[in-house]
Amino acid sequence: MMDIVKVTNVKKSYKKRKTKELVQAVKGINFTIKKGEIVGLLGPNGAGKTTTIKMMCGLLVPDEGEIYINGIDIQKRRLEALRHISVVLEGNRNIYWRLTVKENLEYFAGNRGFTKKQIQEKMDHLLERFNLKEKENEMVNSLSRGMQQKVAIAIALLADTEVIYLDEPTLGLDIETSYEIRRLLKEIVQEEQKTIIISTHDMPVVQEICERVIIVNHGKVVVDDRVDNLLQLFESKAYRFTLLKPLSDWQKEVLKKEFIVTISENDNNQTILDVNITTSEGFYKITEILEKEQTPIEKIDRSIVDFEEVFMNIVKGEKEIDLAHTV
Amino acid sequence: MTWLTLFKVNMKRELILIKRYWMNTLSMIVSFYIIFLAMFLGIQVVGDPSTAELNTQYVIINYIFWYLTMAVMSGIGWVVMNEVTLGTLEQLYMSPLGAWRIFLARIVSSTIVEIGIVIVMLILSMLTAGTWLNLDILSIFPIFVLTIISMIGVSFMIAGMAVIFKQINSFLQISQFIFAGLTFVPLSVAPFLVFFPVVKGVDMVRQIAIHNYTLADFSLMDYTALILNAIVYLVLGIIVFSRCERHAMEKGILGQH
Repeated sequence: MMDIVKVTNVKKSYKKRKTKELVQAVKGINFTIKKGEIVGLLGPNGAGKTTTIKMMCGLLVPDEGEIYINGIDIQKRRLEALRHISVVLEGNRNIYWRLTVKENLEYFAGNRGFTKKQIQEKMDHLLERFNLKEKENEMVNSLSRGMQQKVAIAIALLADTEVIYLDEPTLGLDIETSYEIRRLLKEIVQEEQKTIIISTHDMPVVQEICERVIIVNHGKVVVDDRVDNLLQLFESKAYRFTLLKPLSDWQKEVLKKEFIVTISENDNNQTILDVNITTSEGFYKITEILEKEQTPIEKIDRSIVDFEEVFMNIVKGEKEIDLAHTV
Repeated sequence: MTWLTLFKVNMKRELILIKRYWMNTLSMIVSFYIIFLAMFLGIQVVGDPSTAELNTQYVIINYIFWYLTMAVMSGIGWVVMNEVTLGTLEQLYMSPLGAWRIFLARIVSSTIVEIGIVIVMLILSMLTAGTWLNLDILSIFPIFVLTIISMIGVSFMIAGMAVIFKQINSFLQISQFIFAGLTFVPLSVAPFLVFFPVVKGVDMVRQIAIHNYTLADFSLMDYTALILNAIVYLVLGIIVFSRCERHAMEKGILGQH
């Protein structure tokens, strides 16, 4: 399959407004995305995700490096490249609040050169699918945040581009709406065969929708792998200790310092210690910490890992993790 | 076809917003009616009766040109500032047709709507005052269109500033006086103003309205100056705007509020 997005050694620096200090937001990012792939672009706040997405949209000019969309250099032939991209940018202001749902859809499609006749059928289909048909003549400012986000995604789909960028599509949404957006995205992925790049902090979105993730931290790609591989990799390192005595403050402190741990209590008032152990030395260290205060271990199980834990482990930069599949 | 689609959707948006912000539209309509009526009646009452008709034509034409110059020249700048405030500017920049084409379609649509309102209000105020202007619309129209093209060029330059600096309200307010100067000062008083936007066009329209010129009465030199002025300012405006866009994209300030 061909590479529809190719990002080569892209760098971008900004000057801070007040201090004029030069900040390197993106420090030489490389990746390619194949046609039809669903990729999560992840990273903590300030990692360089939005900067990367904006450069991929041609809204920001990189200091160095090249970005190709469907073989077109977005810096040199921006408008031509834009024929292949649509984007839902972060925030709820991708649409006009004083226009109705339908007027917004028609307006943005028109600005891409589509006549009303050309989009009518697809627009009706999208309004139905997004449960917006009843609201089509309502002004966007009267809709909920979730509905507004659905309108913004519908506009991106109406453009009928091969590549769609979604920057934080579930940000600020309640659980129910977030779930609905997730379901819709999943349907789109299955039915429309689009290349979708999702930048998000919402790990269930990643786990449910994305095939692959690119994790950016401090302006660099730290992991580029399939979601399945990462889950498998981290699953083999996640353990759950069931303890018959609560942990002392000293134990908690040491464990938190040395490992990424979660401490909780189960229904039988037993202490549950979830921890990622990447080496046999780590395993011995934990038992040593527990033994020191004579904390009896009832049992040790392998934990079920979700992508949130995987992400946290990678971003927190656990040194001992053997990221065999990472860049 | 693409241009037509772009123009149609932007015209539709303009008309929708005129209806939706009806109070603002109504205020504009009433203001025009009162201003035109005040001009007709005021000059009749205060001025010399023998020159009242000429004076009225002179003042009204100057006023209309000043108003349209203001509206067109600052128009794209306002669009950019408004889009930045709404947060939708970057979405417009995702159009493969280019944001400048969308802005051009917007300014053409809004200008047509405003001209429509001005004409209707002018006729209404003439009906009320019982005084009729003797305007050769067919001669005025082509000159007027060419003059507006140069205004759009300047509008793109100002919009370029808005893309970089975002809030240029004060500049736009100050520029009102400059634009007033350009539309009210006759070319015979300051011939070098021929190189400035708008001035040649307004001067030619004045000749038609006041001295009963027809299109045939103007020299080739007049038309050359008018056409060159329109082309040079439009091209220059789009170039300046593109440079400003590029600068904003390099600095990462395109959608920044």
